[in-house]
Amino acid sequence: MEVKVLSAKFDIADAHLLEVAKQHGAYATLEKLFAMPPADVIDEVKNSGLRGRGGAGFPAGLKWSFLPKGLDKPVYLAVNSDESEPATFKDRYILTRDPHLLIEGIIICCWAIGCHDCYIYIRGEYTTQRKALQKAIDEAYDAGYLGEKVAGQDFRLDVTVHRGAGAYVCGEETALLESVEGRKGQPRSKPPFPAVAGLYGCPTIINNVQTIASLPFIIANGADAYKAYGTEKSPGTHLFGISGHVERPGMYELPLGLPLLEVIDKVAGGVWKARKLKAVIPGGSSTPVLTPEEAATTTLDYESMAAHKTMFGSGGIVVLDETVDMVRLVKNLIDFYHHESCGQCTPCREGLGWMLKIVKQLLNGEGTTADIDLLRELCDNIEMKTVCVLSAACTMPVRSYLDKFRPEFEAYAADRAKTEAA
Amino acid sequence: MAETVKLFVNGQEVEVESGKNLIDALKVVGIEIPHFCYHPALGADGNCRMCLVGIEDGRPPLVPACKTPVSEGLKVQLDAEKIRKIQHDVMELELINHPIDCPVCDQAGECALQDYYMTYDHQASRMRVPQVVKEKKLDFGCGVVHDQERCVLCARCVRFTRLITKTGELGIVNRSDEARVTVFPGRQLDNRYALNVVDLCPVGAMTSRDFRFKQRAWFLKRSPSICHGCSMGCNIFIDHNREKGGDDLIYRFRPRHNALVNGYFICDEGRLTYHQENEGRLATAMVDGKDSPLDQAIEMARRKLENARKPVFLLSPNCSLEQMLAIRALAESRKARLSGFSDAYIKNGDGDGWLIQDDKSANRAGLELLGIDTAREGFAQALEDADLLVNFNSMRIVPAAAELAGKIAGLTTIAISSHNGPLTRQAAVALPVSSYSEYGGMVINTNHILQRFAPAVIKNQPAPDMLDLLRQLGCTLTERTDLGKAMQQAIPALAGTDMSAFPAEGLNLKEKETDHVTA
Repeated sequence: MEVKVLSAKFDIADAHLLEVAKQHGAYATLEKLFAMPPADVIDEVKNSGLRGRGGAGFPAGLKWSFLPKGLDKPVYLAVNSDESEPATFKDRYILTRDPHLLIEGIIICCWAIGCHDCYIYIRGEYTTQRKALQKAIDEAYDAGYLGEKVAGQDFRLDVTVHRGAGAYVCGEETALLESVEGRKGQPRSKPPFPAVAGLYGCPTIINNVQTIASLPFIIANGADAYKAYGTEKSPGTHLFGISGHVERPGMYELPLGLPLLEVIDKVAGGVWKARKLKAVIPGGSSTPVLTPEEAATTTLDYESMAAHKTMFGSGGIVVLDETVDMVRLVKNLIDFYHHESCGQCTPCREGLGWMLKIVKQLLNGEGTTADIDLLRELCDNIEMKTVCVLSAACTMPVRSYLDKFRPEFEAYAADRAKTEAA
Repeated sequence: MAETVKLFVNGQEVEVESGKNLIDALKVVGIEIPHFCYHPALGADGNCRMCLVGIEDGRPPLVPACKTPVSEGLKVQLDAEKIRKIQHDVMELELINHPIDCPVCDQAGECALQDYYMTYDHQASRMRVPQVVKEKKLDFGCGVVHDQERCVLCARCVRFTRLITKTGELGIVNRSDEARVTVFPGRQLDNRYALNVVDLCPVGAMTSRDFRFKQRAWFLKRSPSICHGCSMGCNIFIDHNREKGGDDLIYRFRPRHNALVNGYFICDEGRLTYHQENEGRLATAMVDGKDSPLDQAIEMARRKLENARKPVFLLSPNCSLEQMLAIRALAESRKARLSGFSDAYIKNGDGDGWLIQDDKSANRAGLELLGIDTAREGFAQALEDADLLVNFNSMRIVPAAAELAGKIAGLTTIAISSHNGPLTRQAAVALPVSSYSEYGGMVINTNHILQRFAPAVIKNQPAPDMLDLLRQLGCTLTERTDLGKAMQQAIPALAGTDMSAFPAEGLNLKEKETDHVTA
């Protein structure tokens, strides 16, 4: 089932070094690229159907075409390498094992959108990854792939790595821009969208590492070759991080559209210790959970996920076996989002803290069924009333656990009833 | 009104000024959209989420009104069930960690949380878990006291120090419900406008050390007036109250919006000048340093003035235009030399190019307009052979003219004074007079804006009005209608202006002159 598009060089020793990477085709697309007018590059990417790999799945080529034309302002590219979504560990492979693939993708994107200054926003905890990436960038500068004349062309491109300071919310694209600008990482109200007014008030494209890293293949082999993978509406390949209660957890590159359970069984070795499957988190902690019944009809693409009222997300699949306590899981989940809420806007700031305390109370045996109802209601009251979608990233999955595993929550509430009766 | 657009609110068509956001534009036509963080002077931040409104067929269908400009045909939903629910839910979330200590909170009675609770929330608390504990009564400097628990984190105060004073002392630290407004360690508020954050704060998180625990907001009468602290003439509210058995006292000044003069703010120094209206007042008439019945003292003053051969009148640059006209008229009839010498009111280098001016008097432009000499030489010369000095409430002479002090000390003086001072104590006759919070009149600020103000405070034992005293001293120009005519003569720009329709924001005399020239 596994394929090698993004991960083609992952298993080659020292492929993070320019010399080795070049031997295996790195930067080979540039000659072709600079022969293409930028509009053709955008069209090629549009035709490939490549969708944003940060989680939302927005068509990449379409996003680029939102840039206003004829503006007397620089255009910026910000590469989102904040990879902070729990259960997500895909971009880190690109950063350490094939950073030149990312740099090549950046050159392609910048040529297409007319950008000369790119910022890579990397999460603060990624120290090894930052070192690897910076080393590759330095190599690329020395070899003339970055700088005043990219690959000898009359095209300047500078790439700056900007380290975050450990805030999940900085993966939200406008918070990321605030952080790059040196301010507290808090999302901006939209509109205006970054494509119109982004970094330093200039038109800005923000793409995920994996999205950018998909570009060299598309330019080298054409949109059709990329579309040969995946489904019609979800073409291409994706780096899936499979974790949790499976025999062989790890990062696997797969075409989109494969059946979820088959992937868990055949790629990741199935649920570990011969236990029963309880649920699957399909794409990072913020995606609503799937029951085994739902998972059985789910395929790994944007449409199937939406049909199952969840999201494709970041490709971080978490397999939960029958021993998992969903109430404790939810507590853990809210704890994370509460901790990471920037505190800017009221519903998220106040609401997530309240939700956390309610779940803790429930776990302590001091909760009632009314508290479960309140928790469920708070999900509705908070969601989509906020500046960004961080709170929704918490309330959407929490609601799914409450709805699909309600008896487990009631069991904790019932404890209280028993004690009171005694 | 400027260009307008027509839009629909709850299906009703309204016509509003274009170029504004929904909150400001609809407020003009009497439609309130609740909000904490938006303030016209600080712009839209969009963090409180209280102003979320529905837009029919809109993408997105839910928008913060503060960030949404009015546009033709926009269909705004304010009373839709889902919008009411959002307002209700946001209020619930604002309040879960709020201490609800209204009985001991200074903001009570003028608090957005209280008002919105009554309008939009009105439910019992469902909070059965411990609240977030934060810091209280933090000394932020400049007389600002902060309570982090009452704070709704609207960031108005933070934006004020960043956007308006550009001093940036305040910031919000921490995330989630641990977020709080604070100052940098050892770097408190340090700007001359800091107390504006108390007015800006929609809740009781920012309080003024000066005002704390002095009065309940609902007892205060709010009278519009003009600050006399400097020549800017900032528009203020005089908040005052007569407690049972007490006198009518002023408890605070607050800024009153006037786009022509001070915008939304006032300086701290001016704000605190209200103390001078309450304190240090000349309460009784005095003859030769001893208390005297008022009528006897007036009679004494009148006789001294009548018998004087070379009287000199000194008038304060704080006098209203009406008072100046009347004093000038009396000076003419008594052949007195008139001086507006008041260098001591000027504090060179103190102004900041914004609201604070070097000149700490309210109506120097009035003196100049009436052609009253303010030069030190003129005053010194007049004193040379003078046999009587009548001081019309000029409180500051000596610092700028120490060598005149001896001369003045040797003279018979009549002090017509609102406040006690060295000159009233020396005076042969001292007559108390009302201060600007107690009378009405007109003043011209440093930018030639003519402004009118009305009496605010009525004392239990009102000091005589300056114009009344002048009449009793023999002045014939003290009637309001006569003064109005005299004013129109003195100020060409006022000719033909209907004084009963005098614009509330004042009249720009310079602009008015230019109008005449071009016409």
